Amino acid sequence: MRISKIVLKNWRNFRSAEVELGDRVFLVGPNASGKSNFLDAIRFLRDVAKAGGGLQPALAGRGGLSKVRCLAALKDPDVEIDVTLTDGDGGEDWRYAIGITQGVRGYRQPYIRYEKVWRGEKQILNRPDSQDQKDDERKTQTHLEQISANTNFRAIAKFFESIRYLHLVPQLLKHADYYQGSGTVEDPYGRNFLEMIAKTPEKTRRSRLKKIEAALRHAVPQLRALTDTKDEAGVPHLEAIYEHWRPNAGRQREDQFSDGTIRLIGLFWSLLDGDAPLLLEEPELSLHSSIVAKLPGLFHKLGRRKKRQLIVSTHSWDLLSEKGIGGEEVVMLQPDKNGAKAVLASSISEVGDLLDADLSIADAVLPRTAPEQISLFDLAV
Amino acid sequence: MYAVGTVYSRGGYGYLKKTIRGWNAAARGTPFLLVTDLDSAACPSALIEEWLSVPKHDNLLFRIAVHEVEAWLLADSKGLATYLAVKPGLVPKRPEALPDPKRSLVELASVSKRKQIREDIVPRRGSTAQQGPGYNNCLSEFVQSTWDVQLAANNAKSLRRTLDRLSTFRPVWAPAR
Repeated sequence: MRISKIVLKNWRNFRSAEVELGDRVFLVGPNASGKSNFLDAIRFLRDVAKAGGGLQPALAGRGGLSKVRCLAALKDPDVEIDVTLTDGDGGEDWRYAIGITQGVRGYRQPYIRYEKVWRGEKQILNRPDSQDQKDDERKTQTHLEQISANTNFRAIAKFFESIRYLHLVPQLLKHADYYQGSGTVEDPYGRNFLEMIAKTPEKTRRSRLKKIEAALRHAVPQLRALTDTKDEAGVPHLEAIYEHWRPNAGRQREDQFSDGTIRLIGLFWSLLDGDAPLLLEEPELSLHSSIVAKLPGLFHKLGRRKKRQLIVSTHSWDLLSEKGIGGEEVVMLQPDKNGAKAVLASSISEVGDLLDADLSIADAVLPRTAPEQISLFDLAV
Repeated sequence: MYAVGTVYSRGGYGYLKKTIRGWNAAARGTPFLLVTDLDSAACPSALIEEWLSVPKHDNLLFRIAVHEVEAWLLADSKGLATYLAVKPGLVPKRPEALPDPKRSLVELASVSKRKQIREDIVPRRGSTAQQGPGYNNCLSEFVQSTWDVQLAANNAKSLRRTLDRLSTFRPVWAPAR
């Protein structure tokens, strides 16, 4: 299953955005155009649906509804997310839509304005229902988060829960002791990355590490024998042999790996992990341009194998110069004082003409995502 | 015997055209093989004159894959037919005469018996891309695993000439300064 369409209203910097998504999506746009916010809307659904999650914690974890609501919005309108989910195997589409608002007085607790689910043409949930009308407390929770209430659409709750997000920060992984955890269960930045590897069943873990090592051999040829291990205190680590000029190469742990090596390991691991949509934030970071240029092909290869949707934010010229990327796979985010817009690159006629003439996305699209005043940027200091 | 040193590429001849004076100047210390494709009908020697305003150094080998390097891949028709899982008879006979070898290669892949080949090499219906998402992967795999350069050279004069030039090439060294 994949997200085939998303509509955002008053979500962070999107006052009103609507865009269709394919199997592989590249999000491009200037800094602060909303690439992470776009991904966060999808992560929000995951946070509502996941075990131990729910509407209230998902909002509280984001600093409350007022932090989530679009600043360009007038007054206090509802925050709305509406997604269509397509089953690759020809089943009927699902659609889930939620509108969130908050109380006018006192604690201003957020509650649902509406929550709706469709299977094909048929609507199977339409809240607020008569019980919600009688009991306002009910509206502080979604049916999505309640097992007893989501029986008829359990499949989409499971789907949202299975969505993965990765933005591995090598420093957090290398020096986990320096950073206090925020207490969140989800850990997209890598503090618990090693634990996650350690918790994976042994057979799967070994086979994945073997595959990663085989791929790394071409990118980081000095590195071999990548394995996981535990120290005396039971803390999991990654270990590899790093060949150097000394005859007896030493084993190194992740705190000695280079940033690029760690990010590649994280990238491969998450690509091999599961079949649900994977959200990747700037996978090009710390990597050599020749590796970055190969990422789109790699995403296609690994994504196709599991029919997995990949949504990737990027600024990378090297990544976007791959000629196999179509304009219909590229979502351009355009900031505007009335909130950001999301458009498919192929829908802009000039871009479409350039792509038809065999220019790459990097050539046809990236120049349009540069800030308008960028020529003055370095004159300001 | 030669070993391939550093490969300089930025995908497309614009980069090579822009930097050719650099390769030519550095050729006095290192031989360079410059391979590009010829979009227009101009002949190779005219192209080198157009690109390079100074005399070409003997250590700079300037070769042109007529139209596109894909023509050289199509030239090993047997290997390509096997790799793409198509009937050998469908591979174009005179690859260097094709106006758009890349398109021919994509069209050839579109009749592959293997779904994966079709999905990798052919752009999806309605896509603005001129090649499929796994095009580069597949073709580099083909070159590594199957492509026979000698068979291909029998069928592509520009490749044959490149191989001949490489096999007879002897670098010219300038006297020590």
